[in-house]
Amino acid sequence: MATKDAPVNDPMLDPRTGEFLVIGPGHTFKSVTEKVSRIVLTSHTPLGWFFGFLIASGFTGMLLVAVTWLFLKGVGIWAITIPVAWGFAIINFVWWIGIGHAGTLISAILLLFKQGWRNSINRFAEAMTIFAVICAGMFPLIHVGRPWLGYWLFPYPSTMNYWPQFRSPLLWDVFAVSTYATISVVFWYIGLIPDLGTMRDRAQSKFGQFTFGMLALGWRGSVRHWVRYETASILLAGLATPLVLSVHTVISFDFAVALLPGWHTTIFPPYFVAGAIYSGFAMVITLAIPIRKFYHLEDLITLRHIDNMGKVMLTTGLIVAYGYSTEVFMAWYSASRWEWFMMWNRMFGAIGWSYWVLITCNIALPQLMWIRKFRLHAGLMFLMSLIVNTGMWFERFVIVVTSLTRDYLPSSWGTYRATRWDYMTFAGTLGLFTFLFFLFVRFLPMIPMSELRLMLPQAKVRAEAEPLPEAGD
Amino acid sequence: MAHGNNAKSLPADLSAPAFVDIWRTRALIAGVAFLVVAVILGFLSGDHWNHFLRGWLHGFVTCFGFCFGGMLLLMTQYLSGGKWGYIIQRPLEAMTRTWPLVFLMFLPVGIFGASMGRLYIWAKYADWSTALKNHLITNEQAHAIRWKALMLNTKAFWIATIVCFTIFALYIHLLNKWSLQRDADAGREGNVTYWRVKFENLSGFGVLLYSGLLFLLVIYWVMSLDPTWYSTVYGFQFLVGQAYQVLPLAILTLMALSKAEPIKSTFRLIEQHDMGKLCFAFVMLNMYLAFGAFLIIWSGNSPEEIPWYLDRIRGGWGVVATLDVIFHWLLPFTLLLSSDLKRIQSRLAVVCYIMIFARIWDVFWLIEPNFRDAARNLHLSVGILEYIAVPGALIAFWMAAYFAELRKRPVIATNDPHLAEILEQEYVHA
Repeated sequence: MATKDAPVNDPMLDPRTGEFLVIGPGHTFKSVTEKVSRIVLTSHTPLGWFFGFLIASGFTGMLLVAVTWLFLKGVGIWAITIPVAWGFAIINFVWWIGIGHAGTLISAILLLFKQGWRNSINRFAEAMTIFAVICAGMFPLIHVGRPWLGYWLFPYPSTMNYWPQFRSPLLWDVFAVSTYATISVVFWYIGLIPDLGTMRDRAQSKFGQFTFGMLALGWRGSVRHWVRYETASILLAGLATPLVLSVHTVISFDFAVALLPGWHTTIFPPYFVAGAIYSGFAMVITLAIPIRKFYHLEDLITLRHIDNMGKVMLTTGLIVAYGYSTEVFMAWYSASRWEWFMMWNRMFGAIGWSYWVLITCNIALPQLMWIRKFRLHAGLMFLMSLIVNTGMWFERFVIVVTSLTRDYLPSSWGTYRATRWDYMTFAGTLGLFTFLFFLFVRFLPMIPMSELRLMLPQAKVRAEAEPLPEAGD
Repeated sequence: MAHGNNAKSLPADLSAPAFVDIWRTRALIAGVAFLVVAVILGFLSGDHWNHFLRGWLHGFVTCFGFCFGGMLLLMTQYLSGGKWGYIIQRPLEAMTRTWPLVFLMFLPVGIFGASMGRLYIWAKYADWSTALKNHLITNEQAHAIRWKALMLNTKAFWIATIVCFTIFALYIHLLNKWSLQRDADAGREGNVTYWRVKFENLSGFGVLLYSGLLFLLVIYWVMSLDPTWYSTVYGFQFLVGQAYQVLPLAILTLMALSKAEPIKSTFRLIEQHDMGKLCFAFVMLNMYLAFGAFLIIWSGNSPEEIPWYLDRIRGGWGVVATLDVIFHWLLPFTLLLSSDLKRIQSRLAVVCYIMIFARIWDVFWLIEPNFRDAARNLHLSVGILEYIAVPGALIAFWMAAYFAELRKRPVIATNDPHLAEILEQEYVHA
């Protein structure tokens, strides 16, 4: 969005378009490299990092306790029962997978769309994807009760003639999520290679030189290396793009192919994908705003990024709103009493409050993002990102719990109340996610230096011959 | 970013070349010829002009898609700010200005289809209990008509259509007016930002409004042909379907116009390639939605939903459905995978023709099996040929109106930040 109210001589504004710059003024190849690499190569770890890491570790420890107890006692410690046999496990699984989507969208789709502003945030968004998939993947595995038999999910030549049910979308999940995780890791790592080369060259310690040298896979920055790197990036982006759609689509099939009111609806695939991107971008904002503040990266993660991400959130949030509205309307238009009852129950039933929480968090409050000043306020956007992710969690809660507790047969109706172990496991994954993220920002370059350097004016191809910049500039 | 003397300059005359008038005349002749054939077929078929009316609905829905799909794509371009869409702005505006003709096309649908109940059984059998007693409708149909009477009635049908057309017409008026005003405003300090904000604000709400209202309209016009049928993704499918049919038309227009100035200097391979890629995205998105809906309903296999697909697969319709998949997805998908193809005008043009044809074919598959005589019973008759003649006539007339509108205004918007880049040599940003 343009910035008509901003001061005309603001150095953070592009005088040609009136938009915020993607990189703050005055940066050179050298300054970008130094600013990003210093965070990793410094021997002085900020106290704040230790503080945050300690808290995250505490929550991770809680996860370990919860999972250990689960393995010892079985899934009975959770609130799952008939008819709500999935409970928090599937809610958290869908929520975490959704969060991962923004990373893939930023790294793959925005790359194909030539959206240069993505360059500052794609690295940690991709990292976020991987950590989110780790958290997500854990839930189905521990939910089966005997995680050591998790490999049964894969079609392997078993002497016991076990064979997965290929018609079940739960099995499709296995393939969709494992493919997604693999491509995400490969894409992330390939993108890291030029920066790992830089880190190797700048590292002062032998250990750093050796580690980054090993990880850089012999990167020398030659033309041949760059050509192959660019080709690999585009190919992986092409592979990852359908995954943005397919993963959450398959997850939506977990619900949509079942003949349950509130689940069996054709809008679910696109609406799940939009919801995933919505929550994913919210999480990127949740991470980006404290990071830019803590590491003084305001000139690399600028208000342009916050603004653009706000617009993406607003757009995807509106698609989600379209999905909600369609569901309500079609519950009536279907002329099906069961569908109509499902919607009424969702809104005004025993846990109707949860529906209004999601409407408030996902639809009502995010409309504030229509206001440009709101989108350009980092603090408010941080708050909004937390609200949206709360709303998106409740969306999955409503879908899972309200439909299962009130299906076609009143004789099978039930209730659901999560136990402390449910809450501990969920909070524990938040801790694990943060724990991994703290390690990432400390030990790897969180902003892609090589890509940011290409965005500087010095890197533009000139039609007229100009003197080469001096080395180091 | 100025790039010195390598940049091209715009020609003085920015209006569409004179040969567009020849296209318009040819389109008019084709329209008249198709209409004559349609009328003859109407007399010969002996089905009380039923197929003529169904064909009219088909033609109207297709032309509606071109006109208002153009508005949708135009607003999307203003929102995304993509360079790909700058060059097609004026052709899209020309498409939108054909709305009065599209409204005229609607009138027979409203008068004969709804008011006289010739197309919609909810209108014909508003007295559902008598119709049920006389075995003219099924129990399910009677239940649906009774339940949905609040919405599916002739008065609501007309009100919804007129209100929607009024809102869309207002939007089209503003989009077209501001576009010219922006060009006239060039040179004023801060005008670029001012206009962009204005267009973004208009388009942001516009896309939202259009998405909702389109769903309402397609329920009335198409989905309610079978009042028992419902699908939550239906409106979204039409939304994507409109972009699917409009983008190829815009590309074809540019290709044809690029034989002369001013498009000759401004239509670069880069943008052509980008638009080819966007076509590919729409091909995938379109098939994604269609297949997702099919998979969910097919696996559900519930008696409320599955007949809709069975009506469109059995009794010979399987051939139409298979060809629909081939034209809609398989052919454009496999062809557009090629990077070279997207850069060669003649080949990309073939794909664009296929895409437009596929959309027309798909609308036929959506409409005809709703009728009792055609469900699970695809039969060749004189009447079925109306689906070629009537839409052919309507589309030809619409094209004539489009070409006339294309000639009325400059085909390049001059006060847009993308213009400088468009005028650069291709290798600069390749």
